[in-house]
Amino acid sequence: MDKKITHKEPVNVLVVGVGGQGVIMVSKVLATICQEHGYQVKQSEVHGMAKRGGGVFSHVRFGEQVYSPTIPKGSVDVLLALEWAEALRWVNHIRPGEGTFISDTQHIVPPFACRNRKRGAEAGYARETSDQIISRVNKGFALDATTMARELGNERAANTVLLGLLSTTLEFSEDVWCDAISRFVPPKTVDVNLQAFEQGRAWAAMDHGTPEPVVHNDGPTPVVVGREEHEMSDFVQLDINPAWCKSCDICVKMCPERCLKLDDQLKAVLTDPDRCTGCRICEWLCPDLAITVHRTPEAARAAAQG
Amino acid sequence: MAKKKQSAETSGPKEFDVMSYLRRDLFPHFLCPGCGHGIALRALMWAAHELGLDKDKIAIVSGIGCSGRLGAYVDANTFHTTHGRPLAYATGLKLARPDLHVIVITGDGDCLAIGGNHLIHACRRNLDITCMMLNNEVYGMTGGQVSPTTSQDRYTTTTPTGNTEATFDSCKLAEAAGASFVGREVTVQTPTLKNLLKDAIDHKGFSFVEVISDCTEIYGRKNDLGNSPEMILSQKSQMRPDSYGGVIVDEPFRPNALPTGVLTRSDRAEYGETYRSTMASSKKGA
Ligand SMILES: Cc1ncc(C[n+]2csc(CCOP(=O)(O)OP(=O)(O)O)c2C)c(N)n1
Ligand code: SF4
Ligand code: SF4
Ligand code: SF4
Ligand SMILES: [Mg+2]
Repeated sequence: MDKKITHKEPVNVLVVGVGGQGVIMVSKVLATICQEHGYQVKQSEVHGMAKRGGGVFSHVRFGEQVYSPTIPKGSVDVLLALEWAEALRWVNHIRPGEGTFISDTQHIVPPFACRNRKRGAEAGYARETSDQIISRVNKGFALDATTMARELGNERAANTVLLGLLSTTLEFSEDVWCDAISRFVPPKTVDVNLQAFEQGRAWAAMDHGTPEPVVHNDGPTPVVVGREEHEMSDFVQLDINPAWCKSCDICVKMCPERCLKLDDQLKAVLTDPDRCTGCRICEWLCPDLAITVHRTPEAARAAAQG
Repeated sequence: MAKKKQSAETSGPKEFDVMSYLRRDLFPHFLCPGCGHGIALRALMWAAHELGLDKDKIAIVSGIGCSGRLGAYVDANTFHTTHGRPLAYATGLKLARPDLHVIVITGDGDCLAIGGNHLIHACRRNLDITCMMLNNEVYGMTGGQVSPTTSQDRYTTTTPTGNTEATFDSCKLAEAAGASFVGREVTVQTPTLKNLLKDAIDHKGFSFVEVISDCTEIYGRKNDLGNSPEMILSQKSQMRPDSYGGVIVDEPFRPNALPTGVLTRSDRAEYGETYRSTMASSKKGA
């Protein structure tokens, strides 16, 4: 291992993604390697909303001397993104004309991008294609790392595929990377992660066009993570008994989909049946027990027939 | 990942339908619009359903108050007793009929003011009864007089310049008096409240559950606490869920926040069993 300091000016790597993808693991591996090569390293991260699928990012800066722990806008040397929309969020932070862009093409649609949260409903999400983005940066890689990792047997190793790609842009040797990865991933997953790392390196060596972004779910349109139970929503039927409703407004204010209102008689009514996911919050909270949500096909059919 | 979504609801015994637990001919009930007592009633029925209790084996004993009136709406054995005394009636009933699930519905005034003595002795005795106390910080039924749980500075018809008396923490009271299960929850967390009530009913011994309810019409109006949606949400923000296993002891920003969840659980001897075995052996001896 040569421990020669080659960077007088700090090298800036920005790792971004959403909660649970392993952004922090990637930055820890990188920071450790840099430190073990005698560089001064500063790392800072924000993962406040990580548990809710919110954005996570981590700044890693290394060089002979690093002062600030955050990377100034426009001076990112490598942007490593584990999720496509997060990649786009940060693409303007890349050093113009010089930086490298690496991103998984996986889409994870955030809940707030779905105004209508029924399964299969349309969701707002970045429309830019990988070609459009790659053409805007000096050097860009967009790959379907998640599928590559899944084919190796563990989707969660997608971050290591990207690490493989990242390793080709920095000076550290392959052994150094493998050693660090083995120390940071859960012991049972060392093998699959090392394979994933190899795949990332191999992918970088190949010559290929960029794939179109792949939406990773089993339906034709994006489905929000963690809402599978609302598959049943096709069968939701809401029963509101106007004779019992006392116009307290609880259901109207508490419905997460905002699809209830008080009509001109001040009785609760469903304004937009397509938006109702059948979550039952209105049923639970109606103090007058005036709302019943039917959520199985049979129950919904029976309720619809009166 | 895709196919493990059969929720408890569909795989459980039968989907919960509150209607099958109500005396529907008495509806709409008499509570004011947005009164939290109605939400608590659903949670209690839901808990009974998930425990698979036989309606004929449920005995609801209630006191006097808007809270006490709830018993009348339940399609089970119900016993609407006198002000402050539901626990006394329940004690007799449970000793005579240990096969029944005896559940007391009471209010803060009913349980802590006129009925305070009955509460402490019920806790001390540890008979297998569940006591659900609906705390709306006021005597709702009689027009909004101050109660032992009224927060300081709050306006009621009997505290026109704001309450100057100190406030009871009913859960601490019950625990100190010996209740072997104590818990607290707000109505807006209905599924959590249901689970707490399930645990309480399931518990062998005296279980006390304080439900933070809202009296929108009287207490809310007098204190400018907003309408029902605002009231139930602000109640939640004033609580401190014990989700970190008690690791976070004090909240600097909300020093008065009350803890929610199961606050005490112990397996002290249940009085009914003690009583019956003592009687059996004394008969043998005679
Ligand atoms: C012996 C007796 N004293 C007084 C009353 C009048 N009274 C009826 S309900 C009530 C207070 C109820 O308050 P609480 O238990 O908090 O129930 P809430 O209505 O708030 O649910 C009182 C004092 C009574 N019915 N009987
Ligand atoms: S079930 Fe009720 S609260 Fe939930 S989305 Fe439908 S109307 Fe809204
Ligand atoms: S919560 Fe119930 S009583 Fe209140 S407005 Fe809605 S349906 Fe009516
Ligand atoms: S007076 Fe208060 S406690 Fe009684 S029904 Fe009305 S809102 Fe509920
Ligand atoms: Mg009261």
